[in-house]
Amino acid sequence: MNRFVSLVLLWTLVVLSSTGPVTGAEEGEISFEYHRYEELRKALVSVWLQCPSITRIYTVGESFEGRELLVLEMSDNPGTHEAGEPEFKYIGNMHGNEAVGRELIVYLAQYLCNQYQQGNESIIDLIHTTRIHLMPSMNPDGFEKAASQSGELKDWFVGRSNAQGVDLNRNFPDLDRIVYGNEKEGGANNHLLNNMKKAVDENTKLAPETKAVIRWIMEIPFVLSANLHGGDVVANYPYDETRSGSTHEYSASPDDVIFKSLAKSYSQFNPVMSDPQRAPCRKNDDDTSFTDGITNGGAWYSVPGGMQDFNYLSSNCFEITLELSCDKFPAEDTLKTYWEENRNSLVNYIEQVHRGVKGFVRDLQGGAIFNASISVEGIDHDITTAKDGDYWRLLAAGNYKVSAYAPGYLTVIKKVAVPYSPAIRVDFELESLVERKEEEKEELMDWWKMMSETLNF
Amino acid sequence: EVKEAEPEQENDDFTLLKSLAEGQRSKETNETPVRESLEKEPYFPDESDSTKNRRLVEDYDSTKMENGKYQDDPESFRQVDGTPLTAEDIVQKIATKIYEEDDRGVFDRIVSKLLRLGLITDSQADSLEYEVAEALQDLITKNAKNNEIEDLGEDYPVTREDDDEDQAAIDDDVDRGEGDDTVDNTWDRESEGEGEEEERSEGERDEGNELSPEDGLQDLQYFPNFYRLLKSLDSEQDAQERETLITIMKTLIDFVKMMVKYGTITPEEGVSYLENLDAMIALQTKNKLGKTLGIPGIIPPTEDDDNTKAEAAKMQKEYENLKDSTKEEAPSTETRDHPGKSEIYLEAIRKNIEWLKKHNKDEGKDDYDLSKLRDFMDQQVDSYIDKGIIEKGEGETIKRIYGSL
Repeated sequence: MNRFVSLVLLWTLVVLSSTGPVTGAEEGEISFEYHRYEELRKALVSVWLQCPSITRIYTVGESFEGRELLVLEMSDNPGTHEAGEPEFKYIGNMHGNEAVGRELIVYLAQYLCNQYQQGNESIIDLIHTTRIHLMPSMNPDGFEKAASQSGELKDWFVGRSNAQGVDLNRNFPDLDRIVYGNEKEGGANNHLLNNMKKAVDENTKLAPETKAVIRWIMEIPFVLSANLHGGDVVANYPYDETRSGSTHEYSASPDDVIFKSLAKSYSQFNPVMSDPQRAPCRKNDDDTSFTDGITNGGAWYSVPGGMQDFNYLSSNCFEITLELSCDKFPAEDTLKTYWEENRNSLVNYIEQVHRGVKGFVRDLQGGAIFNASISVEGIDHDITTAKDGDYWRLLAAGNYKVSAYAPGYLTVIKKVAVPYSPAIRVDFELESLVERKEEEKEELMDWWKMMSETLNF
Repeated sequence: EVKEAEPEQENDDFTLLKSLAEGQRSKETNETPVRESLEKEPYFPDESDSTKNRRLVEDYDSTKMENGKYQDDPESFRQVDGTPLTAEDIVQKIATKIYEEDDRGVFDRIVSKLLRLGLITDSQADSLEYEVAEALQDLITKNAKNNEIEDLGEDYPVTREDDDEDQAAIDDDVDRGEGDDTVDNTWDRESEGEGEEEERSEGERDEGNELSPEDGLQDLQYFPNFYRLLKSLDSEQDAQERETLITIMKTLIDFVKMMVKYGTITPEEGVSYLENLDAMIALQTKNKLGKTLGIPGIIPPTEDDDNTKAEAAKMQKEYENLKDSTKEEAPSTETRDHPGKSEIYLEAIRKNIEWLKKHNKDEGKDDYDLSKLRDFMDQQVDSYIDKGIIEKGEGETIKRIYGSL
């Protein structure tokens, strides 16, 4: 009976709307509209209700005005990190008036759930092999302000910062300066925020949204991420802050090669982003650093204290910044088009997490070694293993020497040929120094024994 | 506003619904007087148990309607001779409609929409197609013989002129100089909130489509957008559309009443179906007709029914919250927001259950464990309420929906 009423209701609604064509099955299931906070919350709850076996909603904290920073997680085992399964995140709307990313993430959640249930094999596979975290809005307070503006044209700045007036993408601890110093004088090339927990808790300059995200980054071993913005159309990769401090300067990270590949993997499926003939968003914009729809951050313009570089320099996570629309807060009836332009890119970019080398670092007894370092010869940036000893090292295709090191253990080096994808599995069994000493001692005893027998001691 | 009786509605796919309404309202007047000679019913997906359909039909026995039997009940879920409508009749009606419109597209449109929405399966669509094709062929043969358009319900006084007169008389009384007077007597309240009686205001009308207290459904206050939509359709060429819309709404309300009456859904679910319908109307109107319906005022419920009061009060509260931070800028957003969230949730849950059934079938497993799922969901809901992800009321709605499965 329920079905009957639903049928009648839906039929009527469908007919009422029949003045226009609906193209494509999946487009008919997603409603392309802006979501205010309550609507956003309900939209995520609806996805969860529709796909409870593969989703979970959680919050990483509250905004300044008390709105939850909601995340919808999608995986075959939501709520848990499965050993060896890489973690991925999308974060949108950290500038509250840059609204397209926020909505695209909501539509993506709906899309993935729908496609999963409709038997889309590649989506099913993606969800089974990845843990995907979707945060439509890091700055819900800013969004409300931006959305409340009346009239067609939204101000370029209203709603950009959080409720305290803090630009969240300038609010992260500036680790670029530290790494640039270390490049010259020696020092760590990864995990540069010492005493991270303490540093965050005691730093009064950090906005609540920034703090919440930093804690989130510390807690979950993210591998790949993207941060969604608006105001231009390009995929931007590290480093954002220029080495010399000048306003424009190509500032390559040690992983410049893979970052370019990752950025391209997004832009290539977005027809607007990758269009070589695309005119700049505004007449006087300087797009000279854009090629193939991507740009190095520093080459475009210097951004200190940004979230993208913070990810790379404080954790194992590689993050790029996606600028998705010339207009920061375009009219609602354009959202469907933005979805169509970005859908394939959004999905394909998640799949990039399955590249390079991955595996486990264990001791000789098979126990996981947490916080072991994985080094790649020629790339001055190490990553570390997570609690199950699992690691994921994104690499472009090529031949590499990969080594695993942990204090008290002997380093092991392996040669690996890495294709474009999928990731190659490389496990390490590390012998501890103590064990080595024992071995050497035994060898010595054996030799002494042999010698004494021969020489008749 | 004086209106002609509806001209051919046959170009509308939802004429089927309309005739359903005719059958439903045993006592109502027909502001939408499409006295089709044909009884057109919506096609119900081919339930495996055809007696189910039959039972449905019997439920719509006009004598059982709470509002009593209307003296002149020209159309109902019954054949001329009083026997209940069967699935074959329904197929017949579709075929007849296709024949009369000379447009096979009718069928395609209906079925493809149903398929896309996942409401019927491919095989159901196929068998429907087959049956309708057969019926259509028969029709063609028959009519070739008779050489005139067939009147299926020939015992019915299909005097459109009569209808016109009735309608005109009624409309005259209804007329208040506004564009939307042909609204059913239950909606004779202006959107500005004139507190008109929801009952009939004209003598010749029977008791209006009044909803029983236990349903707690107060028509107008849940359809401000529909009302606005009607108002916006005030031109001559929109007249037809308006009539159709009115009939549809009435039909839907009656359906919901029926469902509630027979315990298939709870009153709250009925409320939210209709709430969501109104919201969807606003959305679709904006999207498809390019019109914005303006911010609906929330009219507080006057019913004693605690559930609806709570529901409406909740909506009110949410609306207030929204109102503080919003301007005229996004009226349709607000409209979408406050009513019918439980309908959205219901829909999401339905999709999940359907997927579970299909998924388990495909994998050859036994049916999913509903009680385990329910327990799990209850647990999750509680946890989400604690964390501020779900509101308490929403959580209760979700639990209730799972409880009723």
